[in-house]
Amino acid sequence: MFIALRDLAFAKGRFALMALVIALIAFLMTFLTGLAAGLIKNNISGLMELDVTHMSFEMDDKPTYRNTMIEREQWEEWAAQPGVKTLEPMGHTVFTARTQRDDPLELVLWGLTPGSLIEPEVLDGTQLGAVSNGVIVSRLLVERDGVQMGDTITLDRVLTELVVVGIAEERNIGHIPIIYAPLAKWQEATYGPPGGPPPGEQLPDVVFDFVSILALQLEDKVTPEQIAAIDDEIGTSTLDRGAFYAASTGYIEEVRTVQIIQIFLFVISAVVIGAFFSIWTIQRTKEIGLVKALGASNGYLLRDALGQALILMAIGVFLGLSLGLWSGQAFMESGRPFMFESDKIMQAMTLLVTAGLLGGALSIRRITGVDPIIALGQEQ
Amino acid sequence: MTLKAENVSLLLGDGDEQIKALDDVSVEIAASELVVVLGPSGAGKSSLLAVCGGLRTPTSGKVWIDNTDITSLTPAALTQLRRRHIGFVFQQSNLVPSLSAMDQLLLLVHMQGRKPRAEDRSRALGLLEEVGMAEKKDRRGNQLSGGERQRVGIARAFMTSPSLLLVDEPTSMLDTQRGHAIVELLRRACHEHKVATMMVTHDRGVLDVADRVLEIRDGRLGGVITDATVEMPRIVDAAH
Repeated sequence: MFIALRDLAFAKGRFALMALVIALIAFLMTFLTGLAAGLIKNNISGLMELDVTHMSFEMDDKPTYRNTMIEREQWEEWAAQPGVKTLEPMGHTVFTARTQRDDPLELVLWGLTPGSLIEPEVLDGTQLGAVSNGVIVSRLLVERDGVQMGDTITLDRVLTELVVVGIAEERNIGHIPIIYAPLAKWQEATYGPPGGPPPGEQLPDVVFDFVSILALQLEDKVTPEQIAAIDDEIGTSTLDRGAFYAASTGYIEEVRTVQIIQIFLFVISAVVIGAFFSIWTIQRTKEIGLVKALGASNGYLLRDALGQALILMAIGVFLGLSLGLWSGQAFMESGRPFMFESDKIMQAMTLLVTAGLLGGALSIRRITGVDPIIALGQEQ
Repeated sequence: MTLKAENVSLLLGDGDEQIKALDDVSVEIAASELVVVLGPSGAGKSSLLAVCGGLRTPTSGKVWIDNTDITSLTPAALTQLRRRHIGFVFQQSNLVPSLSAMDQLLLLVHMQGRKPRAEDRSRALGLLEEVGMAEKKDRRGNQLSGGERQRVGIARAFMTSPSLLLVDEPTSMLDTQRGHAIVELLRRACHEHKVATMMVTHDRGVLDVADRVLEIRDGRLGGVITDATVEMPRIVDAAH
């Protein structure tokens, strides 16, 4: 890179401007990758933390958490299938509610068997089970909505009262914070009469025969074909991890939107860098002809120019990445959805450099077409 | 003979636009000999340089450099030949803009696939000294005058110890005094380094440095004069 390095020093202004453009693209890419990870976490953190391999929904072409109901017979049949390590029936209902200070809340009430593998570890307070209407709340409700330990939360319409006994890490689904309740309390709130059973009476057994979904731990040997056969037999739709994430409201749309923006950034990067090197190469045509006349091979000049593009990309990406990480940190500390995932950010930066080099390479290849005869002032 | 061109013709363009840039040209130049090819613009001077330097392949005829028939070489082999055996001096603006005077010379070493070593730097500095540019070795082309750029170009041409030096209009952008100093420098370097040199020019004022003067018109190489000390050389048609 004899000429490349000296060109960089010679045309500092032009290259600095280009490095700045690359840095801005890298910054956007870093920030967007962190934002995407943060949004995904914000959307499905409740699902991401579940130590399960599959989720079973009511049979549907496009199962969703809001529109599914599974009967006791079905989950008992599922539990009896070979290859099922663990099965946990779960309830999922979206509620609006009020705190005892009359502050409005939007929450997802998850019903689960106390002590089951899907119950989150509390950061503060106690686990489920000691109190029949005791619930564990996502930390977001504490930090954002001011919910406190011991508070009573009253669900709108059904008027079920829940008492906060524990606080867990931030857990959301569809960007709504989750409240974990004992399964029976969830069934009462979802299928029972408003206000609970009349005094002195109990809810009918049928109320406790329904849940929303089944959280499954299946053995590795269970094939998708076997799962499909079980689904057909029982009347469920079972999804693996990627698919049960996608069943969360808005998840696919968010991921696709971010991916489209990322693809645009890759294309913009390739085009901008390609255009820069295209103009740079055209400006250098006479010089390239001269050096070729002196005996430089195409390979020598291409290596030189590609090395130059790589240095430019590396400087730009380093600056953009640093700025992105710094501002991402500030963004995260302000409580906004943002998460650093080093592998994804590195992947994005690698793709960015590749796209840039590809754009550069397509422009630089015109070097091979320059005829050294122009060094003598003759036309090609 | 270092350079030998035999019955070389060169057609440029297509169809009705086709012109005969060189017409049955033959020339030989020995080591340490400086041959000036004189001719007006469009006479075929640069085409002759291009063919002799492996930048254009003649339509017919043969060119040998150090007994190698360069008309049968592949483009890659021609590139290598230029790198190792031919020195070029172009018109004044032909320096790489981003390189210092010293780097213009070291570039040729780097192009041969190795990092310049201390002896390369020493040789480059010696050549720059020879052309009076050692003190300005760190200046780039845009920090040098026309004559200084041409001096750097001459030093560069000798960096790889070529056997053939091809010089294109070295005085075209210089005033008479500076132009004469440049061709005098070329003459001295040509003899000291024992390099066969072909210099094309339209400038009759520089003929006194030549060992031999040839005239080119309409692509045909003609006149020969061996006594280069005369003010106006006598051009004799070779056919006579």
